[in-house]
Amino acid sequence: MMSTIRRGLTLAIVLAILSLTIGVMAQDVAREDTVIFDIDSSQIANPTNFNWLVPGTLRNHGAHQAMWEPLFILNYETGQIDPWLGTSFDANETLDVWTLNLREGVKWSDGEDFNADDVMFTINMLLGDETATLAEAANMQQWIDSIEKIDDLTVQFNLKEPNPRFQLDYFSVRIWGSVLIMPEHVWAGKDPFTFTFYDEEQGWPIGTGPYTLTSAETDRMVWDRDDDWWGAAAGFQDLPEPLRLIWIITSTEENRAQLMSNAQLDSVMNLTLGAFEAIQARNPNVVAWFPELPYAWADPCARQMSFNTQVAPWDNVNMRKAVSLIIDRQQIIDVAYEGTTTPSRSFFVQYGGMEPIISAIEEAGMTLSPTADVAAAQAMIEAEGYTMNDNGLYEKDGEVLTADVVVNNSSIEYTRTVDVIVEQLIAAGIDAVARPVTGATHGDLVNNGEFQLSYDWDGCGSINEPWNSMNRYTAQFLVPIGERSPGSNNWVRWDTEGNAAYSEIVGEIGVLPLGDPAIVDMVVEAYQYLYDEVPIVPLVQASKLVPFDTTYWTGWPTQENNYNHPATWWNSTHQIIHNLTKAG
Amino acid sequence: MSTVETTPETVAAEAPADDGQLKRTMGRFNQWDTPWLNPKLLTGAAIIGIILLLGVLGRFLWDTDLAYTASSPLNLPPPGFVNTRGQEGIWEHPLGTENSGRDMLAVIILGAPNSFLIGVVAATVGMGIGIVLGFTAGFLGGWVDELIRLISDVTITIPSLMVLIVIQSALRQVDISTMALLIAAFSWPSPTRLIRAQVLSMRESGYVQMAKLSGSSTRDIMFREMMPNLIPYLFASFIGNATGAILAAVGLETLGLGPQRVPTLGGTIYDAIQSAALLRNMWWWWGIPTLLLATMFIGLLFINLGFDEIANPRLRRSSQ
Repeated sequence: MMSTIRRGLTLAIVLAILSLTIGVMAQDVAREDTVIFDIDSSQIANPTNFNWLVPGTLRNHGAHQAMWEPLFILNYETGQIDPWLGTSFDANETLDVWTLNLREGVKWSDGEDFNADDVMFTINMLLGDETATLAEAANMQQWIDSIEKIDDLTVQFNLKEPNPRFQLDYFSVRIWGSVLIMPEHVWAGKDPFTFTFYDEEQGWPIGTGPYTLTSAETDRMVWDRDDDWWGAAAGFQDLPEPLRLIWIITSTEENRAQLMSNAQLDSVMNLTLGAFEAIQARNPNVVAWFPELPYAWADPCARQMSFNTQVAPWDNVNMRKAVSLIIDRQQIIDVAYEGTTTPSRSFFVQYGGMEPIISAIEEAGMTLSPTADVAAAQAMIEAEGYTMNDNGLYEKDGEVLTADVVVNNSSIEYTRTVDVIVEQLIAAGIDAVARPVTGATHGDLVNNGEFQLSYDWDGCGSINEPWNSMNRYTAQFLVPIGERSPGSNNWVRWDTEGNAAYSEIVGEIGVLPLGDPAIVDMVVEAYQYLYDEVPIVPLVQASKLVPFDTTYWTGWPTQENNYNHPATWWNSTHQIIHNLTKAG
Repeated sequence: MSTVETTPETVAAEAPADDGQLKRTMGRFNQWDTPWLNPKLLTGAAIIGIILLLGVLGRFLWDTDLAYTASSPLNLPPPGFVNTRGQEGIWEHPLGTENSGRDMLAVIILGAPNSFLIGVVAATVGMGIGIVLGFTAGFLGGWVDELIRLISDVTITIPSLMVLIVIQSALRQVDISTMALLIAAFSWPSPTRLIRAQVLSMRESGYVQMAKLSGSSTRDIMFREMMPNLIPYLFASFIGNATGAILAAVGLETLGLGPQRVPTLGGTIYDAIQSAALLRNMWWWWGIPTLLLATMFIGLLFINLGFDEIANPRLRRSSQ
């Protein structure tokens, strides 16, 4: 009886979801020629805005996976940087002059040449942003003194200081995205803050990728193959096999899971273990990075909790330390991740390349316990003048100690983690509340300093060297509450003498060659300030259980077929699309 | 208001031959022959009573701390069943657990009365406002009537769900009473209009005119003379309002806009949807709260039908 009801309900839901996709599916491209991706986003607020420079504009809905190509792609598996629109990016001996060579024969989808003028235009636009709020503007302004066009395919970047990671950090899809070059012939004369880069009559947006926009809606983006793509003519790559790519917003895990179990979704961004196992039971063609537990790929963005260090009581370091002690990382893993990840030992991702740094930090006594020490935390809170009331909550001067934790609500991974943290805080005597908001709202709240605590992954950056993550908390990015943090950096507004000392050391690390033996000790010295003043609390390593359906398409990245990592929401997805072949 | 005193004795003396009619007439004075002992009303009340009792007694008999995240093992089915991983249910969690480690029995014990409470509080507040405004508008008439009618008509046209969603998202924490009051803010215009209509037809009645002539105050006429005659009607309206309020609350909760931490039936269904409970065959997660909600609505429907019959003797006779 129960299974009949369940089957009936399941069928009803599946039919409802399918009816939503029929509008697109019923067009002239067959299912077997289409690849359907899921993104864990809220509805796209403005689907016809393709100005990726404006904060909050989505670009992982296919725009930077199918249309805009990166200059280079970091290969997580080989550790090498694969060339794409660029063929090489070389530094001089002092690491302060970098020369970019572009591939010959690259064209925009409207037929115009992609060349050094486009690179010059885009970088100069970012350098000219006085507010430093356009995406990547703060990063470009931090390093670039000037750029010069050497010839149509060569651009020289003159840096303010040596930077051994210049190519890796900003032009190689190190994590998620990279600086995307925009067409000068379209963007020239436009206001980069208001231009939407969308006009059906003009055929905008355009990119150099093998797909062009077919339709843009709040819950789906459809991209069709451009058979005149430059890459095939230039001998760079064959035309990719899929005729159509669709990114859809599926909202709930139930929707994602139902669609994938019915072979209506080829790639899901992330799933819980239970849902993945249920899908596999129904659709054995579904695979993940590992063929067995833990199935999940280790995402480079470790999860953390961040404080607004400018608002009371979280401007008090002892209160922040108390929260850090209350958090039971192992319980987060057991409940929110069902055992598929590991506790963070620092705020860095625990990849092999980071291990010497993390070990050195631990050896210096800066360890993080996987479990909580609530008694110590409570002692610290009480030392700050709080007493526990009859409801088991701390209060001072008649005011209950509260903690609002803002969390991006687009994935159950995030909300489940915060639910666990909230329970831990409440059990320890802090009246905590989860505030689930959309990703765009979360970005606005934290960058403008309108929050108390946040669940996020904004220490994300370093992969095989420590500077990138550490640089995000340096003093140069400090702005007052109400002003948007440049490049989403240091929005915890860590502004102490400790931060000044930290920033100075991080600045010195930044100009040393990669692998310089002095770096480890300098990291340990700087990290001590971060550890002592707790602007952020590292939580757990991120695991992304990214399932792929091989019913229609094979060639998905897995541990066995590891041409690169499996993140289909990254700018590096171009590689995946070129590797896909029709099943059967 | 009858001028002739009628007692069982006089009736018997006047019509000794008609035995059947005598019995029927006598029956009217049988203490069990009260319209309030309506079977539908009693059935509905019993259903709701059992659900409330579950909430009240459950708190003493079961550890309700298990209703919160990370308090129990994950994804366990009720005893006698297995989940997709082959784990068997255990008696420590007789209704199973969900994927954040909440015990379903504890969730139900806290959640079912919470959902009901939201409906009752919202309906009480809404009805209270409706009674005052409806009587005032209907009885006083004139510009007062027009003003109240205008405000209630305007409020009815406002898409309440949208406003509720906006308010919900602006609040730090939505608890049971906040939720009830939010819903109450939109549940008064309907009773206001209905009561006004009743009062309009009632104010021309003889006893109201008589009360006016005898110098009773407006307030006395409204609430001492007229209101008692509307009580069954008000009860029926109240139940309808409570049903609507519970529905609104469950709707918000199922959209994920209910109380964040306090268990509710709608919120539990939302969590289940978010976590692919249907696909994962975790029927105890979505099925039990759905069943309870359905039972609750059936109980309220019976109560509503019962009150309808009490308020309307024709319905009562036809059902007999």
